[in-house]
Amino acid sequence: MGLPKLAITPAKPDKLRALGVIALNGMFDEMDALGVLRYAIEEVLPGDIAIVSSFGADSAVLLHLVSQVDRALPVYFLETGKHFAETLAYVETLRQRFGLTRVTALHPDPADVARFDPDGQLWERDPDSCCHIRKTEPLEPVTAQFGGWVTGRKRYQTAERGVLPHFELTSDDRIKINPLAYFSDSDVNAYKAQHGLPEHPLYDKGYKSIGCAPCTSVVAAGEDPRAGRWRGFNKKECGIHFDFNGAIAKPMIGQKNLWKDGAFTADPFRAWAETDSPETARYAHVPVDVFLRNRVAFLSNPHPIGLHVSPADQVEQVEADLLRFASIAIAFPAFTDGRGYSTARLLSERFGYTGEIRAVGDVLADQVPLMRRCGITAFVVTHEPTRRALESGQLATVNLFYQPVGTTEVPVGTRPFLRRAQ
Amino acid sequence: MYRYDEFDAAFVRERTAQFSDQVRRRISGELSEDQFRPLRLMNGLYLQLHAYMLRVAVPYGTLSSRQMRMLAHLARTYDRGYGHFTTRQNIQYNWPKLRDIPSILADLASVEMHAIQTSGNCIRNVTTDQFAGAAADEIIDPRPVGEILRQWSSLHPEFTFLPRKFKIALTGSPNDRAAIKFHDIGLMAALNGAGEIGWSVYVGGGLGRTPMIGKLINAYVPHEHLLSYLESIMRVYNRYGRRDNKYKARIKILVHEEGLETIKAQVEEEFAQVRGGRLTLPQEELDRIGAYFAPPPFKSLPVAAIDIAREKILDAAYGSWLENNLHPHRVPGYVSVTISLKPIGAAPGDATDAQMEAVADLAERYSFDELRVSHEQNLVLPHVLVSDLPAVYVALVEAGLAEGNAGLISDMIACPGLDYCALANARSIPIAQEISRRFAAPERQKEIGALKIKISGCINACGHHHVGHIGILGVEKKGTELYQITVGGDGTEAAAIGKILGPGFEAEAVPAAIERLVEAYIARRQTPDEPFISAYRRLGDAPFKEALYGTA
Repeated sequence: MGLPKLAITPAKPDKLRALGVIALNGMFDEMDALGVLRYAIEEVLPGDIAIVSSFGADSAVLLHLVSQVDRALPVYFLETGKHFAETLAYVETLRQRFGLTRVTALHPDPADVARFDPDGQLWERDPDSCCHIRKTEPLEPVTAQFGGWVTGRKRYQTAERGVLPHFELTSDDRIKINPLAYFSDSDVNAYKAQHGLPEHPLYDKGYKSIGCAPCTSVVAAGEDPRAGRWRGFNKKECGIHFDFNGAIAKPMIGQKNLWKDGAFTADPFRAWAETDSPETARYAHVPVDVFLRNRVAFLSNPHPIGLHVSPADQVEQVEADLLRFASIAIAFPAFTDGRGYSTARLLSERFGYTGEIRAVGDVLADQVPLMRRCGITAFVVTHEPTRRALESGQLATVNLFYQPVGTTEVPVGTRPFLRRAQ
Repeated sequence: MYRYDEFDAAFVRERTAQFSDQVRRRISGELSEDQFRPLRLMNGLYLQLHAYMLRVAVPYGTLSSRQMRMLAHLARTYDRGYGHFTTRQNIQYNWPKLRDIPSILADLASVEMHAIQTSGNCIRNVTTDQFAGAAADEIIDPRPVGEILRQWSSLHPEFTFLPRKFKIALTGSPNDRAAIKFHDIGLMAALNGAGEIGWSVYVGGGLGRTPMIGKLINAYVPHEHLLSYLESIMRVYNRYGRRDNKYKARIKILVHEEGLETIKAQVEEEFAQVRGGRLTLPQEELDRIGAYFAPPPFKSLPVAAIDIAREKILDAAYGSWLENNLHPHRVPGYVSVTISLKPIGAAPGDATDAQMEAVADLAERYSFDELRVSHEQNLVLPHVLVSDLPAVYVALVEAGLAEGNAGLISDMIACPGLDYCALANARSIPIAQEISRRFAAPERQKEIGALKIKISGCINACGHHHVGHIGILGVEKKGTELYQITVGGDGTEAAAIGKILGPGFEAEAVPAAIERLVEAYIARRQTPDEPFISAYRRLGDAPFKEALYGTA
């Protein structure tokens, strides 16, 4: 399934902002799910709204409501590759039954899967990261194209969702519509019965909230219906729903600052924080001194971590542990500080490190080719002209080299030091 | 001479296109001056007091007549009809317009020249003995290795943002005419026990506000490991050189603060890792580059004696030119001729476009098409038949370049000073001109003999005042220009840093002070042949201090 043609510029939710979130939330009866949905699709964000559905136990209700307003509303399904076969069958059932014309499956980037989850066990080691590569990442390019989203979240589902309103303004200026916010478990069942909606094949087997197969378990009677999700992990949400009630928990879309493989992409890594723990940290660039002080704990930590190398750090000190790092960030606090070039060459040439080496900090466009030659493969760039130069591909390059540097340049001519970019 | 192959030509072409684009972006406003600055500095373009200044590299000081004619063309077309040869064996143009820079670089590229890395915190143009490949006393022509160093250091990705600029000089002769001990790295040709030629490596020399004499870090590095060894030094410096204070960022400070033994250990450790790797230079490759510098087809001639005494009687000016401006050649019947760019009362190192053309003609006709630039801001015809000297002299007289003062008191080094330079605190050129006029008479200069005066207009010491037998440093004190005088400096293998003997002098008082030093020397020298520097070493400070400041 290819992506449908999408609106290029999201409509600004001016109407919503003019009314104010609170005023809008007061417009509809708590149980008027259809009214909320119709107003959102037809008045607030016409042509600029979509839905992400898990096609789980409760999804039928919301999709049925959608089909009554607009069967051509884009519906996205996160095909994580970890779903129950029953779920995949259920997608087809609902699509046909409701006549939905724009159901699209979103797949994780195979490169991410190969890199972060080569054995398919990431869900067990690090469920947050698993959700990240399978849900957050694939969804991002799509979310960027809509001004608003319809969700099926309900207040009763978890304590975190207890204050969920009909309309939310997210921290990245998008609107989330929660038509079922006030529906209880019995309201959902009543609606299903009233409209004769097909049940998820696993529902009768005790699954009340259904996500990916490895992270979904049967819920006992009286248990929170979502208790079967990520059972045993201190985890309630997959990361795509964090923002609610105007309270900013996590921006849905961070700025894409990581230039890698020819494009800006969302950065799975973040900087090390004081509050991080060596035993449980994940996707953080750990400063060399912090790593050395807590080496044993970091080595037994099962999550992907990175290394942050400051200009004065000696990478020789972590030579034996380089395989532990999924990414190494070399800091360039000022463009004039060239120590990182030596660091990069030591890592890539002498120590044979083949993971991501990224330059972080004050990087000028004209330095990018030199950094690449020294083994740097990714760039975290905030400098606007450098961003533009990377995006337009207008990097000042001289492709003939007088030095044998790096691991990919090929010898030319007779002089032993002449090289050319491969 | 080295000739670009396709690779070299394409490299310079790409680099020129790259910088032309950067200039275009600056002119269009796409780049701010702040963003443009590091880019233009990588290409030798400075912003001076009045205008941009472009510094063009003359690698290891070697030029062909075709290249010299192009330098004349640039002076005529884009500047005010002259260029300035510097102590770095480069040429500077003081008045180019920014919009003309791409054309200038394209013109330079057409004669295999460029301005790459003549500024910025990178490895600068490699310099050497101006008599390289000609001098009777050299054990190896240093230019093939100089060319290899030029290539290895050009846009080196690891060493383009060093703590500070980095200068390498080399000499193939034990008589150091390239001041190698005052460079970040100095290389002196050396023999090992087996009689093979390699390099003694000195590190941490420099002038500036903290003058230091380079220290021997390795007595013998063979050719094949030279690049690996230098890369090891560069890496240690790039990683550990100070970056917190630009005045303490040169490698000389690192060596001084950490100690030679510490740095040596770090370099050796690094060298152990890279030795024998991809930077190994096979002998065939050195030979191949060396072939470009093969001696020209010299005639086989008997030793030619020049009767200077006789010539002096016939023509005093020609006689003193012969006496001072010739250097012994390794081939009988030939000499190297120094063309003085220090005519009495002129700005040291300046040459007009017509003079450059004239010199190019002479090189083509009398010196196998070869020219050199010396770090003492003179030009050299390296291979001249003794029998051609009269003709060469006549042509030089016509061009106004026949001053017979090489190595004498009026053959001064002077930086551009406050007349041009944004860094300067004081004028240098007018001081040089005044001293030059005071000692104009050839008999007086001959009486004084070998004496090097070097003048800098600020503490950065571009005029090498620390290594002048007499050094003059312009400083600014309470709003007036004041000149400190040092004595006893020496830039050769007998390296020494001059001493300040007392308070500074106002500009008007400088020539008289120099004269008093000269008189003190003449009065005390053992024989007329004892040079100033030897007399100073024998006598110590006292008589010179007294000459400057009187008895207390």
